[in-house]
Amino acid sequence: MNHGSEEPRTPGATDRGSVPFPRRAHRDEHGRRHTTERAVDRRREHGQRLPSLVALVLVTVLCAAGLVFLALQFAGLARVFSAEAALAVFLGAVTLAFGFWVLRRIRPVRAPDLNASLTAVAWGLTAAPAAGVLANGGLSSIWAKGLGLAFSGVWGPALTAPLNEEVLKLAGIVLVAVAFPYAVRGPVDGFVFGSLVGLGFEVSENFIYSMNAVVQAGGTGGVVPVVQTFILRVGLAGLGSHWAMSAVAGTAVGLLAAAAWRPGTRRAVGAAALVALAMALHWLVDSPLLGGVPGVVLKVAVVFLTTMAVYFTVRYAYRRRVRRALASEGEALGMRRSASVALASRHGRRRELHHVARPERPDVERRQEQVLAIAEDRAARYTP
Amino acid sequence: MAEATEEDPRTRRRGPRSNWVPLGLAAGAVALLVVAWPLVNALLPGSESVPSGDPVPVGSGGGYRASLTFPQEGWALNTGASQAGHTYRFHRGPVRLTLNSVTPATTPPPSVEELWEGMSRLVRAGEASARLGEPEAISTHDGDEGLTGTLESGSRRGAAVVYPSPDGRMAVEMTLAGRDATTADIAAVADVVRSVSFTRENS
Repeated sequence: MNHGSEEPRTPGATDRGSVPFPRRAHRDEHGRRHTTERAVDRRREHGQRLPSLVALVLVTVLCAAGLVFLALQFAGLARVFSAEAALAVFLGAVTLAFGFWVLRRIRPVRAPDLNASLTAVAWGLTAAPAAGVLANGGLSSIWAKGLGLAFSGVWGPALTAPLNEEVLKLAGIVLVAVAFPYAVRGPVDGFVFGSLVGLGFEVSENFIYSMNAVVQAGGTGGVVPVVQTFILRVGLAGLGSHWAMSAVAGTAVGLLAAAAWRPGTRRAVGAAALVALAMALHWLVDSPLLGGVPGVVLKVAVVFLTTMAVYFTVRYAYRRRVRRALASEGEALGMRRSASVALASRHGRRRELHHVARPERPDVERRQEQVLAIAEDRAARYTP
Repeated sequence: MAEATEEDPRTRRRGPRSNWVPLGLAAGAVALLVVAWPLVNALLPGSESVPSGDPVPVGSGGGYRASLTFPQEGWALNTGASQAGHTYRFHRGPVRLTLNSVTPATTPPPSVEELWEGMSRLVRAGEASARLGEPEAISTHDGDEGLTGTLESGSRRGAAVVYPSPDGRMAVEMTLAGRDATTADIAAVADVVRSVSFTRENS
């Protein structure tokens, strides 16, 4: 291990917790290739600006249109059943706040970009469910006309939602990836932004289901149908719902974004398999198979455990690459390997900060961020 | 790094794909789903005739199944706008019969007056100007009791009916009206609202 004796020593470089200034240019084992890559990256970044801007405008317009559409759809019910609608909105806001906090925290190393996170949630809350209402309405009617009302009543949701809703959410994840190319650079990012799109969708859908439950109860029972819907959809089925399926599909977007949208065969097949898996999970949840509470619990367990298997796979691979990049970066800066690798986790960074005198902590924290940014940049560049 | 060797050279050789491609595909997918399904649906025929005298199952709840038997010929079911077990939209000429099977969420179940009040609110939610008149007692041909009253709005005039099932765990709610329907049109088929039957699920 290099303890800094051969490098020009930055004052305090090997002191516990301290982080030297990151290097301005990399001169590691990749040597000149890095310089070439940087030039390519600069050209690529320049070429991404206009599509990024257009994607952002498109997302904004579609989210606004979706919000207006949903507001018009449910204005009548909200006007007459205002207490029920207010409670549904409140429960949705609580679900959204909690989900947003949890799903941003599960990204290893650092939290995802805030603007991209908010855009992902906004798409899931507005544009995707509004488009879903239109698309599902059309396809459900086609099934009812073609397969009969009785059959479509049982199998219609399983034949409709996995196709329409997964594609609409997936489109949002792709738009977020194009609008914020620096934020979606690999499978881990795809997983997190996918889950955020799914979270927004789930919250809107819960509101729609709550209002439908009020109608289904014949306008009787006050807020009871809303509370029952919340318990069923968040308490019982929340762990294996839209956030999970879209996280799986979002991982595919991350895989493609990491290859600059030009995947090799293996990567393309992997991405397609992940999207198909998300649709299959959605189909399982919506199918009439395995009814009753035990059936719902089993379906939720299958969706959740599958999603966790995807999550821990991409998390493990990403953390390994970031740790390797941190070790290399730290070695060049004369840091202890343990100290540089510790920066890969929130806990490790806090622990390292505690070794530094209080007045120096803001500066050290800033340098930690800079070193991490470089390490994540390198890890993203070499996403397999 | 080993990871760098697999795809980077290939990507570099072929160059990155423009971000316009995923942007176009995503926007195209949304447009396709939102436009294509409603368009195909609009092109498909949406009605199927309902023969008179045959009971049409319209929902279940608690321990009962509900059905509706049309006394006249000429009724048709709008399958595309209906939802099995919940909502059925029938029409005969200018007259529209909308039937909703509802399942109250509370225990004990609501009274028939509470069901009428709930239905009145739902009608107002669907059309701001719609109002239900004072309810009167009505019964099905089988003797199940319910409430009926006038339905009036800026665009239509007709009747509304609600029948709770014998155990109150479900109810059938109907509106009989039509934008272009005259009083005579509605009067000609008015007895359809008395042809609801409740049967025990395991009978």
